[in-house]
Amino acid sequence: MSKENPNCKEVMQHICESLGEDLNSEKCVAIKHHLDNCSGCQSYFKTVELTIDLYKKYNVQLPEDAHKRLMSFLNLSDCDE
Amino acid sequence: MEEKELVELAKQGDRKALAKLVKDNEQTVYNFAFKICRDREKAENIMQETFLSMVKHINQFDGNSKLSTWLYRIVSNHCLMQARKEKNKYFVSINEDNEDDLYEDKYVADWSRIPHLDVENNELKKILDQSIDKLAPDYRVVFLLRDVEGLSTEETAKATDLSIPAVKSRLHRARAFLRKELNEAFSR
Repeated sequence: MSKENPNCKEVMQHICESLGEDLNSEKCVAIKHHLDNCSGCQSYFKTVELTIDLYKKYNVQLPEDAHKRLMSFLNLSDCDE
Repeated sequence: MEEKELVELAKQGDRKALAKLVKDNEQTVYNFAFKICRDREKAENIMQETFLSMVKHINQFDGNSKLSTWLYRIVSNHCLMQARKEKNKYFVSINEDNEDDLYEDKYVADWSRIPHLDVENNELKKILDQSIDKLAPDYRVVFLLRDVEGLSTEETAKATDLSIPAVKSRLHRARAFLRKELNEAFSR
């Protein structure tokens, strides 16, 4: 499955595989129908993506003095170039 | 020099190789420890303990994965041990009885108005910190390893000693919990 831009069938296949269901099973067809028409589910997936994105982008830099303390703690200061 | 060569040299007692491995991975370890405990001082302590474990046990590293994957396992263990020490801290528990609440919104926030590209915004940082802080650490670790650090489900399972179904179940609950927390915060 293309990670960048999966088509609807691939998405459904992925969802149905996770459920252990065949693409044409009653449950899968019902899920597809639901997803096509449910703005709540569409918004849920979009906001989960945004949530992950926010936590991915929130990073901290190791301060230089914390690096020095680490090398000293490990008795490796003499190898720190 | 490649990581594999450095690991081999470090196993033979080469301290310079060991120092290089520490330098190559310290930012990742510190950042990940911070993301779990949301506190710079604790993150530094956990980073130190993690590399001390690495130095002591480098001979046990089998080289079948990247060193960072092995380190994620060690950091996760240290973070969970640290969290267990903080017994008085309250976390929201997610179980089958209250799981449905995670998918129902009392408020509908307009997420498109959030400055989501600007995580330097202190107010947004506070919301992100407070939200994840309520999530039990064993869920937090799974979310961070799989979604934020990008490990595979298998690698996450290995790092946390969980089965693959358990990783999947914790992951979707953690995602739903955090999404709901942010939705509520953005609705205020």
